[in-house]
Amino acid sequence: MSVNTNSLQLSDYLEKLPGTTFKRLYQQPSTAFAIFRRMLPHLAKTIVMAMLYMPTPFLISDLEIWVKPNSKRQKDQALATLRSLHIIQSAGPQSMTLTTNFRNSLRLALEGGGDHHSFGVPSTLPVPADVDLGFLDRYARKKWDDILHYVVNSVEYSDMREKDTGGGGPKASVKELLIAGRLVEKRSVATISITQAGFTFLLQEANSQVWTLLLLWLEAADANVERAGMDSVDMLSFLFLLASLELGRGYSTDALTEPRRNMLPYLVDFGLIYIPPHDHQQYFPTRLATTLTSSESSLRSVSAGFLAASEGGISDAGDKNAIILETNFRVYAYTSSPLQIAVLALFCELKMRFRELVSGKLSRQSIRKAVDMGITSDQIISYLATHAHEQMHRLAAAQKKPLLPPVIVDQIRLWQLDTERMSVCPGFLFKDFESVREYEDMANFAGEIGVLKWRNDRKGMFFTNKVEQIKDFMKNRRKAEQ
Amino acid sequence: MNRIDASDHYEVTATGQTPSLLVVVLDTNPRAWQALGPTLSISAALANILVFVNAHLAFGNDNQVAVLAAHSHRAVWLYPKSPNNSSPKSSSKKKRFGGLGGDGDVEMTGVNGSSRNTKAAPLGTSANKYPQFAAIESSILSSLQALIAETDSSDIPYTTLVAGALTTALSYINKTALSFAPAKPSSTDPNASGTGNNNGSGGAAAVAGAQQAPGLHARILVVSVSDSAPSQYIATMNAVFAAAHARIPVDTLSLSPHAAPTFLQQAAFLTGGSYAAASLNPRGLLAYLMLGFLPDAEARQHLLQATQDRVDFRAACFCHRAVVDTGFVCSVCLSIFCEPPPADAGCLTCGTRLALGHYGSKPAVVPRRRKKKKKVNGVGGREETGSATGTPAP
Repeated sequence: MSVNTNSLQLSDYLEKLPGTTFKRLYQQPSTAFAIFRRMLPHLAKTIVMAMLYMPTPFLISDLEIWVKPNSKRQKDQALATLRSLHIIQSAGPQSMTLTTNFRNSLRLALEGGGDHHSFGVPSTLPVPADVDLGFLDRYARKKWDDILHYVVNSVEYSDMREKDTGGGGPKASVKELLIAGRLVEKRSVATISITQAGFTFLLQEANSQVWTLLLLWLEAADANVERAGMDSVDMLSFLFLLASLELGRGYSTDALTEPRRNMLPYLVDFGLIYIPPHDHQQYFPTRLATTLTSSESSLRSVSAGFLAASEGGISDAGDKNAIILETNFRVYAYTSSPLQIAVLALFCELKMRFRELVSGKLSRQSIRKAVDMGITSDQIISYLATHAHEQMHRLAAAQKKPLLPPVIVDQIRLWQLDTERMSVCPGFLFKDFESVREYEDMANFAGEIGVLKWRNDRKGMFFTNKVEQIKDFMKNRRKAEQ
Repeated sequence: MNRIDASDHYEVTATGQTPSLLVVVLDTNPRAWQALGPTLSISAALANILVFVNAHLAFGNDNQVAVLAAHSHRAVWLYPKSPNNSSPKSSSKKKRFGGLGGDGDVEMTGVNGSSRNTKAAPLGTSANKYPQFAAIESSILSSLQALIAETDSSDIPYTTLVAGALTTALSYINKTALSFAPAKPSSTDPNASGTGNNNGSGGAAAVAGAQQAPGLHARILVVSVSDSAPSQYIATMNAVFAAAHARIPVDTLSLSPHAAPTFLQQAAFLTGGSYAAASLNPRGLLAYLMLGFLPDAEARQHLLQATQDRVDFRAACFCHRAVVDTGFVCSVCLSIFCEPPPADAGCLTCGTRLALGHYGSKPAVVPRRRKKKKKVNGVGGREETGSATGTPAP
């Protein structure tokens, strides 16, 4: 099982975009580069790189020779991802090429030529003395923690909320966004409460939280284009540009286009960039921005980065990977961050609290309570996995065992299934096939590209959550038969 | 949705791709490049290699690269070398390695010092380039220029010091791999003050873990243009066995039509790397690199690698450093000699006095009496063929 909820979200958003949008997006080398780096599985990256400087279309038969026979599934999934992101297109019945814009842009990104300014124009002005990496990290962490606190505190810790908003919570625009995105709901004038989407948001890795918020913002901008005057495609491409900037370097705001300059105040509110108060000529990307497209499980790198920065001075690196889960259902978390403790308390029965350590237990009641609040077992498990202590990672690597004890993972799911015997997923039902062979071909294909949700061989039906590629497959199959 | 019946079994493994380190060893023998000049100049080759390096880095933020020049007399770091880099994590790492290289390799510091001041200018002036790529490019170009300027044109041998470069690369990889596993517990120290005991055992576990399942996929790519020097046989093979032991594949791309790096061919075979000869069409260097040498360990699980149909396994003798077809092996230390050692001297390496048996004498024609006792197909036949199993791979 891969715990990769974050890029799913971004990929969902991207998949909804029409092909023309992709054409525009891929005009910018930084965007093509970021999408390559962030959105593609490893094998897909390898295939793209192999095709990048290939003068002729890549024959599918050649690809099949290249890939080992028992990796066919990975190959099909890689191709499916590439197709859905409009990176490859068919160049004939049995061959494929990279789409023109993507190929040109990625080549430009690797070769470093052209005149596109898509990797940011560095500012020539002197850097203010107080702006260094440590400062930027502290700044980004403060901004982001404010947002998270706002969401967490809407659960129950009302006394803390009073205190925190006094100390300066997130800006009103961010609050509006959280409410518009239905991460929190306004119950009355003064109180807000968290929604199920809010729990999902909380339990994600930091990087996917950033993306969730940014995507909400994009959608909000899409919804009222006239008022905001922002184009979501241009915004997205600017976000990818931010991701390719260098941490600790000042970039010139003058070189930006007008709409992009208008985005800056929002990005400051999210903590993605920093603009010195007295000097609006330059902006500094923070670690939240520069790690937007890092492909590994991103919170680990973000928090590792924060950790490295905190060695210099700050002692409370709050959101680090600190959870140890034992096979006897006990949970230990080396943290003193109220945020992380509050999140843990959502699904865990906390028993003891020491300085820098809390310990608790997963139990049927605690999981049921969480499930009743709208948290799913998948979210809990992925939270535990992404925040697992280094020791857990090391042990898992040394003994070649799964990261979390399988017993616990199974049990968490079973506890959830106690109440839910049904799961809902919009999609498409395929039935009434002409022959058993046709059914099997189609169902197996759907399974290989990873869209199959349910199948029943006896009734000859199956159910998928996406249909586009199956359509193509049906067409090709029919053609082949005639 | 078939999981609703709860009969499925779940396992959560750590996700995220393992960082991958690529060490490129570029053969910079001036004579060999001169010979290759009409078809592929070194600047064109370098441009292609830079694109390849960038492609490797593009796979993820964690991927690292190191570039070494194997020159006629020495191995020189082209990248990394500069301590004043932007991101704190990588710069501290580089500083450490810069220091390491400076200790181990005297020449390297000279190249470092001369190019340090030229580096600041080109970096980051362009808005059209990914900052990391620009840094690597300027570093490689400046140190290569310095290297070329230093080279004395009067005394250049035809061969390249590949063994030295391989050894340097291996020590760099080892250092990087070590810093990958136990660096993290030490950095958590100030925050988790009450867990000293825990961290101590964690460090030991990490070292054990690094040996079993490395946190870093490393590989070496040698871009070779010259012949293997028989005089370097022992050094090369030592490096190759070390690489095989550490499970580091050594890939080789041979560009020159005039030369065949036989030892590197063996290296690719022994370490499970791939070997390709682009001698027919050296201009297609980039295509060879992107298609054949870009897949790292993770992708190689799914892809078929180019294999060699014929490997030249000939060894070089220890006494005259000449490649031999048939040699004499010391039964104690396994040294190879091209001629039997003098009767009174013994093995030249370990000094063991060896008897040569009946070498060179005519085989006995008359069968012994024992053979009459129904042993025709038994023991006698087996003695001739020797053991059927090969030398166990490490």
